[in-house]
Amino acid sequence: MPTLNKTTKTARKPSERRVAEDARLRLAAVVESSDDAIITKTLEGIITSWNKAAETMYGYTVAEAVGKPVTILIPVDRLNEEPAIIERLKKGEKIDHYETVRQRKNGTLIDISLTVSPIKNANGKIIGASKIARDITDRKRTERELKEARDQLASANAELERRVAERTASLERVIAQLEEFSYSVSHDLRAPVRAMKGYAQVVLEKYGEQLHSDGRELMNRVVRAGGRMEKLVHDVLTYSRIARSDLKLECVSIDKLVSDIIHQYPEMQHADISVRPPFYPVLAHEPSLVQAISNLLANGVKFVAPGTSPKLLVWSEKSSAHVRVWIKDNGIGIKPEYQNRLFRIFERLHQNKSYDGTGIGLAIVRKAVEKMGGQVGVTSDGINGSTFWIDLIAAPEPK
Amino acid sequence: MTSRQLAILLIEDNEDDVYFMELALSRAHLEPPIHIADNGQDALDYLSGAGKYADRNVHPLPQCIFLDLKLPFIDGFEILEWIQGQPALRNIPVIILTSSPEEADRQRARQLGARAYPVKPPTPEMLLDALKASPGCLPESR
Repeated sequence: MPTLNKTTKTARKPSERRVAEDARLRLAAVVESSDDAIITKTLEGIITSWNKAAETMYGYTVAEAVGKPVTILIPVDRLNEEPAIIERLKKGEKIDHYETVRQRKNGTLIDISLTVSPIKNANGKIIGASKIARDITDRKRTERELKEARDQLASANAELERRVAERTASLERVIAQLEEFSYSVSHDLRAPVRAMKGYAQVVLEKYGEQLHSDGRELMNRVVRAGGRMEKLVHDVLTYSRIARSDLKLECVSIDKLVSDIIHQYPEMQHADISVRPPFYPVLAHEPSLVQAISNLLANGVKFVAPGTSPKLLVWSEKSSAHVRVWIKDNGIGIKPEYQNRLFRIFERLHQNKSYDGTGIGLAIVRKAVEKMGGQVGVTSDGINGSTFWIDLIAAPEPK
Repeated sequence: MTSRQLAILLIEDNEDDVYFMELALSRAHLEPPIHIADNGQDALDYLSGAGKYADRNVHPLPQCIFLDLKLPFIDGFEILEWIQGQPALRNIPVIILTSSPEEADRQRARQLGARAYPVKPPTPEMLLDALKASPGCLPESR
């Protein structure tokens, strides 16, 4: 720590001229060592000082630059900038970070950021200007490259979107063709089956008594096979219709829906089906939910051991976001090892010919429930019946 | 004429379906004169009395039209729309008889003024129900 003593106290003070000279030299050193080009000019635009960085940036030496008009640095197409700058300076305005282009001695162009400030004399009169120019060529190049990269990205995106749109359009065409195909299946494939079955029935009714019993049995087989074919085509169509449709979900009350199914479907009439309220409202597509629940109920009614009369119980449970509908039956059950195959299309997990079916019913249930944002599953030990469940989105509580 | 007899125009291209329709009508104890149009153009000609159908004594306007949806050249919906646009014909009840159980088709048919929509194959009960829903088709409903 320096301490004051008598020696320093009595030392001679430097002259004011000396102090000013020191300050000027320091300032000159700062200007000289700056990376930015610092020049001064008169209000007429004549260069009056020129630092080292200006030499490096523009390629003119001090001797070449001082005394020359500043327009030697301005490209021809920007010459009109100078009068405008001078005008603003005369009003005492400062021009801050003005981005423009200047020309080197060798004619090449350089991107700069310019700050121009008025210089006043002791009386406050504006007598000239200082110009600080920063080389922003690198920044400008980076900006240009960035813009190019952005443009490329945008055009790549546009190309991608165009391709997606193209493929979507082609997929939509394929879907439309498939829908057309489904419609043709419904009309054209069903018509001959319906006719064969119908004619066989007419033969049985009109000429049945004239036929040998074997002949009657064969005609009956034609009728039954026709019926199965009709059911198969019907189920495939139901599946494909649900698979391709966009289901609109609405608030549905399961209560009425379940009781309507139980009272209206002929196959439910000989079964003992109990329902245990309450049933919580769900967000669903009603026709698809009717399809899913009626298929599950019909399944429970159908797959019972010979001599057993079907007994079903339906109830529901609510968690925060979902409502689970349970359907428990007293049927033949499904062994755990087969349960994962149960909901696949055309899977039939029994050989017993007494259980008529197309193997599509549960696939329809799964497709319909999944289309409504839900899930379906089963628990069974393969002996004591099955308990099917479907999870559906709970309807929002009324406010 | 004191009692107008039920005359039917059946617009159907499949001869099997024509057979089952006639069978179901006869089992319903209805054996009306039926004109069968096996394509859309023939149906339009019959209904507008064009060409060979000009003589209404031989080819009277039907009291009821049974219409298949999928037909060659002009489909069932086009025929239905055309009928609704004819002041002389729009009061003749049209019953759609189709193999399409599609709800969208059923709704469109209803919007276009169809009275009933039985799905094939027709049974006597289905035909009687459809005719009951169509004013002027059964003697009892008059």
